[in-house]
Amino acid sequence: MSKEDNLNKNWKKDFPILKQQATNVSRRDFAKFLTLVSGGLMVGSGLIAAKAYLLPKEEVEGEHFVCKKEEVPLGGTRAFVIEGSTIPYILIHLENGDFKAYEQKCTHLSCSVFYKPGTGIIHCPCHEGSFDAKTGDVLGGPPPRALPSLEVFFKENDIYVKASHHEEHTV
Amino acid sequence: MSTFRTSQNQANPNKLNNILSTLIFILILNVTIQIWLLYASLNNALDNNKEILIPAFIASLILFLIGFAWLYYLPTGNKRQK
Repeated sequence: MSKEDNLNKNWKKDFPILKQQATNVSRRDFAKFLTLVSGGLMVGSGLIAAKAYLLPKEEVEGEHFVCKKEEVPLGGTRAFVIEGSTIPYILIHLENGDFKAYEQKCTHLSCSVFYKPGTGIIHCPCHEGSFDAKTGDVLGGPPPRALPSLEVFFKENDIYVKASHHEEHTV
Repeated sequence: MSTFRTSQNQANPNKLNNILSTLIFILILNVTIQIWLLYASLNNALDNNKEILIPAFIASLILFLIGFAWLYYLPTGNKRQK
């Protein structure tokens, strides 16, 4: 095969770049692409910070009636929604007599969690995540954060919830 | 006048190869750290820990600027080499 034949091939016209240059071009473009990705990640971090400071998450306001004490047996749970919001919560009557209220969305991928009676564990069936029913902390599985909780308090026999303002814990 | 660019263009292809590989290695390292920063700040934002978000953004910005400035050392290839 002479050199002329090779020059007249159609693919040479479509891709008129020497072999040595071709390898350089692709790696150069890869390096530029990595920088673009780097810029994208930087913008993403900026958006997260901007959103957290400019549009903070709305807190539950005021006190909300859930139900009466005798409606939830020991080890039982009750799902509830606060008026004006679509976030599902569960009220848990722990075996030691305490009442706890948590968001019912798993912090991993927002599946519904449920309380396993008698174990003190809130379980997420999707990816086997476990939370401590006393504190909402993660015991195992993929969830990255503790379950958000509400403060439970009583007025005679009625159970009420309000936003919990416990100390910010460091991670 | 001899500049960084002319001497780089006259360098041995093996050397350019090394430069390019190192450059890409550092860029991948930067992007990995940035992914970690983004993941951490997202988790902390959802957990209402705001104090880490600005430092994470600044760190991410610095890493991006390092990567961007780093591109100056990208060999121009053999196009204009005689």
